[in-house]
Amino acid sequence: MAIIELHDVSKLYGFGDATTLALDEINLSVLESEFIAIMGPSGSGKSTLMNIIGLLDRPTYGSYTLSNRSVAKLRPNQQARIRRDKIGFVFQSYNLLPKLTVIDNVALPLAYRGVSAVRRLKLASAMLERIGLAERQYFMPRQLSGGQTQSVAIARALINNPAIIIADEPTGNLDSDSSLLIMELLSEIHKMGTTILLVTHNAELTRYATRVLFMSDGAIVHEEQTNLGELAPIFRRNIYGITVKTEDDDLAGVSALMKAIPAIEVPSTKKPRKPSNHWNKKTNTGRRRS
Amino acid sequence: MKLMTVNHIKIALKSIRQSRWRSLMTMLGVIIGISSVVTIVSLGEGVKHQIVGQINNLGNNLITVRPGNINTNTTSGALGVFNIFAGLNDSSLLTIHDAQIIQQTPGVRLAVPLSVITGPIQTNQQVYDTIPVIGSTPDIPTVLNQSLQYGVFYSSSNNITNGAVLGQNVANELFPSTSALGHSFTFHGESFVVLGVLNQFDIAPLSIEADFNNVIFIPYSVAQQIDPNGNSLYEILVKPAHLSSTKSVVNKIQNNLLVAHHGEQDFSVFTQADELTAANKILNLLTDLIGAIAAISLLVGGIGIMNVMLVAVTERTQEIGIRKALGATNRQIVNQFLTEAIVISTYGGLLGIIVSVLINVTLRILTDLQPALSWQVMLLATGVSIIVGVVFGITPAIKAARKDPIDSLRYQ
Repeated sequence: MAIIELHDVSKLYGFGDATTLALDEINLSVLESEFIAIMGPSGSGKSTLMNIIGLLDRPTYGSYTLSNRSVAKLRPNQQARIRRDKIGFVFQSYNLLPKLTVIDNVALPLAYRGVSAVRRLKLASAMLERIGLAERQYFMPRQLSGGQTQSVAIARALINNPAIIIADEPTGNLDSDSSLLIMELLSEIHKMGTTILLVTHNAELTRYATRVLFMSDGAIVHEEQTNLGELAPIFRRNIYGITVKTEDDDLAGVSALMKAIPAIEVPSTKKPRKPSNHWNKKTNTGRRRS
Repeated sequence: MKLMTVNHIKIALKSIRQSRWRSLMTMLGVIIGISSVVTIVSLGEGVKHQIVGQINNLGNNLITVRPGNINTNTTSGALGVFNIFAGLNDSSLLTIHDAQIIQQTPGVRLAVPLSVITGPIQTNQQVYDTIPVIGSTPDIPTVLNQSLQYGVFYSSSNNITNGAVLGQNVANELFPSTSALGHSFTFHGESFVVLGVLNQFDIAPLSIEADFNNVIFIPYSVAQQIDPNGNSLYEILVKPAHLSSTKSVVNKIQNNLLVAHHGEQDFSVFTQADELTAANKILNLLTDLIGAIAAISLLVGGIGIMNVMLVAVTERTQEIGIRKALGATNRQIVNQFLTEAIVISTYGGLLGIIVSVLINVTLRILTDLQPALSWQVMLLATGVSIIVGVVFGITPAIKAARKDPIDSLRYQ
């Protein structure tokens, strides 16, 4: 059963001449307990799509149905309640509240639900134990490593037993060991039946996904099913099917893979020193729509 | 909602502790406003208590007759022209003859003339210039409801004509090392022997009654002989026969004296209650003034809180975004920031109360004032500071709640 249904969803920013098309008539149907990896260069509309699915933003056009319920006419407070009860966010920059302890951070969504203080702490403590950070519960976020911080953020996202986890580049700031830890954690959550939407630049991470979407210029240009534990077939075929117009577009795609390989610096504006992998080949296969 | 509020209070208290200086500066306006209001109100209450104490002490049926027109009731209803120097006005006179008229008025038990004589007082050790000497009859302790600490009062049957009775402060000043009893002093060439010392009078500030702790009483007949002003009186104190008849006695004295003075109102008859009214008027004026200053201070303090909260809302934009992403409703965000503003202002209010308690203690130690701090005033001050928090915290809180979650999350 489809938990998320997007039909011709568009998102525009700005007015008049300065209008930017962030999403261009997206059609997407996500089934329950799918693990979807979303890839694409910077500015391709991945985050905008996540914000709309996560009810942080509204589409300019098109309809969005979440659990068979149209969300177009929901008031902000109703949206907040759905965010609280059904959706868990994991951000690239962790977004823990720096002034709260680990356990208070994890317990925060429960507080907005009106759970009593004692029960909040009990549930948060159990959740931290589940992710293996029981002994860190009274630490402040700044006292944790990147991987631990993101684990805490995942614990916070999970505390209300959401149906959907939206993870926007959760491993973007992490080294490969920590990335592995986080992905294993997400994979475990997925096995328990939670739908996961993962935005990533790291092709390796598609091994955890059941479906991979490729986005470019606000549209889903390609999508395919993958088997768990395997790379998306498209990577195996050495094809990356997006329009590469400029060098920057190119680098945006490259930088992600480079990050996953330790000991090589991520180039910011220059070309990578060693253009050895297939990412750099401009295999312009044209723009495709799914 | 309630659970969240407790949480918000905890967070707010924590953030106050974390940035002590900034919080203190923010609260300063509220602290000044609340402490000045609480202090002035408790001062006023204290003075009222003292006046009531004095009235009870002197007897609330004591009637005072003074020369000059001391009018407590102006037609405008504003603060009465209460001329406390009226008794020193030479043009209007009150004489022993008036005292006799009053004594003969029905309902009057005692009418005691008081004449004030000034001049140097010489003891064996020193000369004192500033102690007023009051010539009065032996009935004065009865009228003033006062007893002697020790010794006896001079009386007409005493053979010692030049006997004197001292107020307690004078006794301590003139004869600091020994008991004043039996000592003598010279005044206007006459030698006086101290026969007794009166107990301490409760004298209130803002009272127009003379401070009898600081005077020397000598027999009226002696005073008449040495008084350079002749037979003019400072005042006549009257004790009515019955407590309930005070008002009618006042009217009768007024009428009789008016006749004796050929219809000219160059004297005043007033009771202790009139004194309280006069003191109240002065106090109310003072309270209004300080109240206005305090209101301005609270306004400035409130604007300070609003300012700091607006900055906090901007500083914590990302936090707002995170909280919204986690499911906080707009109302919960409003609650959070409003609670913080209220906590800051209430904290300031409580500090203000503490400051005013310190001021009160200092005043009690350093002055004769006895401010009375009541829990009602403290409660009211706390209430006012909470209101300041609500009024000036609501705008920043609404601003926080209206922030767009995505923009807030991206805010660095």
